[in-house]
Parts: sequence; structure tokens; C-alpha cells
Amino acid sequence: MAMVDTGAVRLHVQRIGPRAGRPATATVVLVHGLLTDSLASYYFTVAPAFAAAGLDVVMYDLRGHGRSERPAQGYTLDHNIDDLEALLDRLAVTGPVHLVGNSYGGTIAFGFAARHPERAASVSLVESEPATAAWAVKLGGILDRVVTELAHNEPDAIRWISAHRGHNTARLAKGAARLARDTTLGRDIPASRVLTDAEIAAVRCPVLALYGGDSDLAELAPRLESALPDCRTVVVPGHEHSVLVEASATVGGHVLGLVEEVERTAGRVAAEAAG
Amino acid sequence: MTSPTPRTPVTADEAAVLADLTALLARLLEDEYGLDDVEIGMATTFNRDLELESIDLVTLAGLLQERYGERVNFAEFLADMEFDEIIELTVGRLVEYVVTSLKVTEAS
Repeated sequence: MAMVDTGAVRLHVQRIGPRAGRPATATVVLVHGLLTDSLASYYFTVAPAFAAAGLDVVMYDLRGHGRSERPAQGYTLDHNIDDLEALLDRLAVTGPVHLVGNSYGGTIAFGFAARHPERAASVSLVESEPATAAWAVKLGGILDRVVTELAHNEPDAIRWISAHRGHNTARLAKGAARLARDTTLGRDIPASRVLTDAEIAAVRCPVLALYGGDSDLAELAPRLESALPDCRTVVVPGHEHSVLVEASATVGGHVLGLVEEVERTAGRVAAEAAG
Repeated sequence: MTSPTPRTPVTADEAAVLADLTALLARLLEDEYGLDDVEIGMATTFNRDLELESIDLVTLAGLLQERYGERVNFAEFLADMEFDEIIELTVGRLVEYVVTSLKVTEAS
């Protein structure tokens, strides 16, 4: 298990690449979602296929999540973007990367691309959106429920989840309750600095936004297409918010398609410039 | 407190692989949860019996790689499964996969 000290926090990182020492064609950075999520959502789904397709795949656990350190404070979106930036610096990944983010991880990925356009080759948002004022209000409501109904009423809540959603979900919920109770995450995320419309429109790299057809977020697809200069959207019917793990071959295929298209274009541009 | 990875030669038979996996899982359970008395057999499930979370399976993937190198790819094994199959995964099913993978690389 690789731990990387960013200077602010120790993060658990997993990095896999093409087999038999083939050089990687590009780097893809995979960012997971809030509370119950970890890099495992990528490690056992799309990551092996990305590595097999010749990519250098970087996955990490957000602060407070998975095997990363859980500081008591420092959970705003900007803290998460700082962590991602410092992590890539520590790994000496300085060139443009393809960012993939699931749910809140996509909000981090998009925020990184807005802050460092020169370091983002593409952004793939899975069930996700850029940080806006409306996003902060929505997250505030969700986190409020987690803190009041789960973290401060844990035995009852866990019993209900166990009975209605199964043993595995109940155990994940215990981890979420611990994170909400022991850290400032619930207060910090809704208080995050958000992006203006102009800052969102300034993300000029290709963006893929993918949603489950039965998810509340699917209605964002047309709005993102009109807000961004280069955005394509995909709606996967029959899925909700967990589309990444439930339809990982479909999601991975779309992301890989975008990455390969961007790399092909970049290669052609470079070849023309050289010729 | 960390027990070492087994140093005996790798053998592609069920009993030997079960012994390997038992040692690796015992190490993981002690390191992450401070448990040192968990019984592990072919029918033991990772989720319900051992209470392992998906991030623990990432750790297990690393331990398997230390033991077997590139011959066994746990991430690819799980990537081919449905979510429900992973939840129900038993030690025995992983033993079978490891034995098969080792035999394939021995034959080639």
C-alpha cells in the first residue's frame, strides 16, 4: 500500500499501468465520491481496462476516506483540489492528465481543471456537476441529513439501513457516520467556494458528462452542454447514481473513447507542427 | 505485529493456496482491525464473515501480488464480476481462481 504525504495530509494511492513495461500513452486520474466511497470503486471496475488500454492509472483515497489519513478539519472543495494538486506534484505527474470523477469526485476534478487548465487534457464527470451555488445548497441538505439522522442517531439508523438496504450498505453507512461525526466535513463542503458561470465556461478542454437515466442528476445534461464550450453528454438508461459500479463497462468505454480521441488529436497536432 | 508474507514455495494446489490466503487474510485482519483469532476456510465469505470492506480487498490485491507476482490479477478477477457476486465472494472461489491462474502460467 502506497502512502503519499502531500505536506498537508497522508493519502493512500494506487497506481497501475500497462503490462510488461509498455510505456503509457497518457495518465488518467480517478477521483471517487463522498462518505461511503473509496478508490476501490475504480480499482475493481474500470481501472484494469484503462491500464490494459495502455494508460497510466492513478487512483487515491480522498482525505478522511478509505485508507487515507482522516484529519479533523479541512474538508472544503478547495482543500480537496489542493490535495489533488499536491499529490500529482509529489508523483511528478506534471503534464496534462485526463481527470475522471464520480459524484463529488467529479466536482473536484472539474475544480482542478478550472484552476489549472494547462494540466487538464479532459474531464469525465460521472453522476456529477461543477461546484455552483445550487450545488452547495443541495450538498448542504444531504450532509445535514447524514449528520442529524445518521451520525447522531447511529444505532437506530444502522438498524433501519441493515433491514432495508442490506448488511453491506449498513457497514458503509457506519463509516460515513464516523466521518460526519469526527470531522468538519458536513460543515465544510456546503461552505466551499463555488465557481462563477464565467469560470465554468472557461474550462475549454473536452468534457464528458455521464448520468444514470433514472438519476435526478440526468436533467443536468443539457444545461452542461450549453454552459461548456466542449461538452458531450451520455445518459445510461436503467441506472441511478451508482452507474459507475453497476455499468462499469459502459462508463469505462465512454471515458476511454474520449481519452483516445483527445490523445489522437493531440498526436496529430504535434505531428503537423513537427512536419 | 505484521506477520510476514509466506515464504514457502508457491504450489498450484488447493491446500497450499488456501494456506497462503489464510495467512494473507490473517495479516490483513490483524493490521487493519487488530483481530488475531478469525477462523478462515473455503466457505468463509469476505463480506459477511470477515466483514471486509471493498478498500480491504484493494489491500488484499496488493498482498496477492507480493505473493504471486503478475501471475494472479485479483483486480481483473473482480472486474469481471457483478456487484452481487463480489458481495457473496468466498475464500474458496478465490482459491480456485488462484490455482487456475498458477496452472495457466505453469503450462505456458
